[in-house]
Amino acid sequence: MIENFKKRFQKDGIWVLFLLPALLIYLVFMAAPLLDSMRLSLYTGKGYTPTEFVGLQNYIDLFTNPVWRERFLGALKNTVIFFAIHMIVQNSLGLFFANLLSQDFKGRNFFRTIIFAPATLSVLVTGFLWTLILNPHWGAINQTLKAIGLDSWAKPWLGDENLALVTISLASVWQWVGMPTVLFLAGLLGISDEILEAARVDGASSWHIFWKIKFPLLKPVVGVVAILTFVDNFNAFDVIYAMAGAKGEPGYSTDLLATFFYRTGIAGEHPIGIPNMGMGAAIATITFVILMTGVLIWLYSSRKNEDLV
Amino acid sequence: MKKTLFVVFMLMALILTACGAPAPAEEAPAAEAPAAEEAPVAAEEEAPVAEAVKLTLGSWRVDDVDAWEAILAAFNAENPNITVNFDPTNPPDYNATLRTQLETGTAPDLYFVRSFATGLELFESGYVASLADIPGLAENVPAGAIAPWATAEGEAFAVPIAAVSHGVYYNQDLFEANGIEIPQTWEALLAAAQTLQDAGVTPFANGTKDAWDINEVVMMTILPNNVGGLDGRMAYLNGERCFNDADVVAAYTQIQDLAPFLPDSYTATDYYTSQQLFVQGQAAMMFDGSWSISAFEKDAPEFNWSVFAAPAAEGQDQYISFHMDAAIGMNPATENAEAAMTFLEWLEGESFGEAFGNGVPGFFPVSNNVPTLTNPVANAFLAFNGNAAGTDIRFVWEKLLASPEGVVGTYGAMNDGVIAVLAGDQTPQEAADSLQEAIAAWYEPAQSCK
Repeated sequence: MIENFKKRFQKDGIWVLFLLPALLIYLVFMAAPLLDSMRLSLYTGKGYTPTEFVGLQNYIDLFTNPVWRERFLGALKNTVIFFAIHMIVQNSLGLFFANLLSQDFKGRNFFRTIIFAPATLSVLVTGFLWTLILNPHWGAINQTLKAIGLDSWAKPWLGDENLALVTISLASVWQWVGMPTVLFLAGLLGISDEILEAARVDGASSWHIFWKIKFPLLKPVVGVVAILTFVDNFNAFDVIYAMAGAKGEPGYSTDLLATFFYRTGIAGEHPIGIPNMGMGAAIATITFVILMTGVLIWLYSSRKNEDLV
Repeated sequence: MKKTLFVVFMLMALILTACGAPAPAEEAPAAEAPAAEEAPVAAEEEAPVAEAVKLTLGSWRVDDVDAWEAILAAFNAENPNITVNFDPTNPPDYNATLRTQLETGTAPDLYFVRSFATGLELFESGYVASLADIPGLAENVPAGAIAPWATAEGEAFAVPIAAVSHGVYYNQDLFEANGIEIPQTWEALLAAAQTLQDAGVTPFANGTKDAWDINEVVMMTILPNNVGGLDGRMAYLNGERCFNDADVVAAYTQIQDLAPFLPDSYTATDYYTSQQLFVQGQAAMMFDGSWSISAFEKDAPEFNWSVFAAPAAEGQDQYISFHMDAAIGMNPATENAEAAMTFLEWLEGESFGEAFGNGVPGFFPVSNNVPTLTNPVANAFLAFNGNAAGTDIRFVWEKLLASPEGVVGTYGAMNDGVIAVLAGDQTPQEAADSLQEAIAAWYEPAQSCK
């Protein structure tokens, strides 16, 4: 009986039925809106129901009209910087912390908890707290710098076009560093003690053990962390909104693809506030294409690696 | 085999979703039918009159909920069968939220309407009812106040309720301690700022992190002085003057004058921080709007404070930026048009002026039936108007906000110029030139200006 069912399940494709509920939910709530948003990018008109079909005009404008292009390329560049800072700083720190936290020491669980604690808070809350800490007049950072005589280091962190994006990125790194830490930690704890012990018996230093044994075994986790960082940060919106506003102040220097999209397609420019949904959808579609390409490259290359193994 | 089956299934699913899209459109007429049937029934119910009607009023004034509830209670006292509920939305989200509500048929019966481009766009999309037939509007409200919520042909679509003024808040104790009188000229203002700075006090609290405030409460407050108020602005709008002429350059030069007197790290100083610098007595003055009266009162500074009008340069006439800020319009889809109209008419009268002018200090009722206000700072603001050569709305609001897509917006161009001049990245002339260039890119009168 069970054998019979198993056979039918595999051969006759009954498995499709089991997929149906999830697939339906996915189609209705994820795929359909996505496709509809792509359709919307071919329309223009004011308000939330653009009706005039314009084909690819929104995309052409985005790439050729100097005003649109400047904003778009600026947002793209900032998004890449924002992502790169997370990729390098957040993930290196994550690996470093994970390595520390995988050792045996007193209070280990306490530190494991607090490293992850900021990630459980709302970005709007942490963003607001960081704007207070960075406030030039009564913020802790500049007060401290002035107190120890480093007055010239007390910069307008969020008001300087050269500093704002890096400052906000680092605040975001602070909040999310727990994520890669937890993933790397899980990977490190999964490495068998026997291998490490054997290495130690053979006289390998801890530096060697990390780079020659632990890190190669962590490679799959590195891939997952990288792709998660990519997807999360190319979509980032909230931390900029909380710390620099939807316009990406100062002077668009913190404007990301998502804030550019929000301003164009949802909120409209201050003080008029009339959105251009079609153009917003075009920006969203381009963001989607960038993300899709990145994820596909990763999928393809990770599959290739599996084949090699 | 498995793969083909899966692909077939995916294709089917795709086709299904594609077919799914038009379905609501087919259903639409069916949904309308019962509504049409219901309508006569509703009319019959209304017939016996004095039926209690509930209206909703949408607004962006989340800060004034208590005051508005008192105002609406005053209306209810005069019209016992009509209750109006105040339902505000966070200001930055207001336009977008209202738009969604209107397009999905869930909008309030009455709502605050923004002036000029934003409001006109709503009217042209059919989302605000025409008030061409409302009784008494022309008699009770000055024409200059109606215009921001009317078409070019003069068809009104909202009843103006509030204007806001702009000026310089100042710390009277600090002024006294440093022997400073209220500056009557721009030069005197700069001298006062210098005296304060020499005494170790930050002269002005304003910053640029939020960008809009330096534009709206500083630049557009000093512009009328420089360009000659309403008449001067009209000359620009008609193409008789260019947006980079000597007067606009003079306004940017005044911005440059202020640069040394702003707080340290003013680029990272946001609007709220500016207000706190003033309230805590760390800065002696702040350019700000009359709407901040209640915020300052709530923080209860430990010193005496008041406002003075932004002074004009020596020998120039003074003009006040007295901006038409809010009006209330009616949802054309409301089921209670008659009651809504009663409310709109009430806005023209004295009881509204009384309840609003004193209930929300810093917002000035614009009808002719305005009682004496009780708030001293609000009265100080109002006194500017009588002493000045004239008043005008904010410089870029009329016509200049209605730029098409794909050009640099006028508001943004002016804002960028102000920030660049303060930072020393542009000279006042360069900033004025880029303003002219941005406007001339789409606004015809500016292309042939002299």
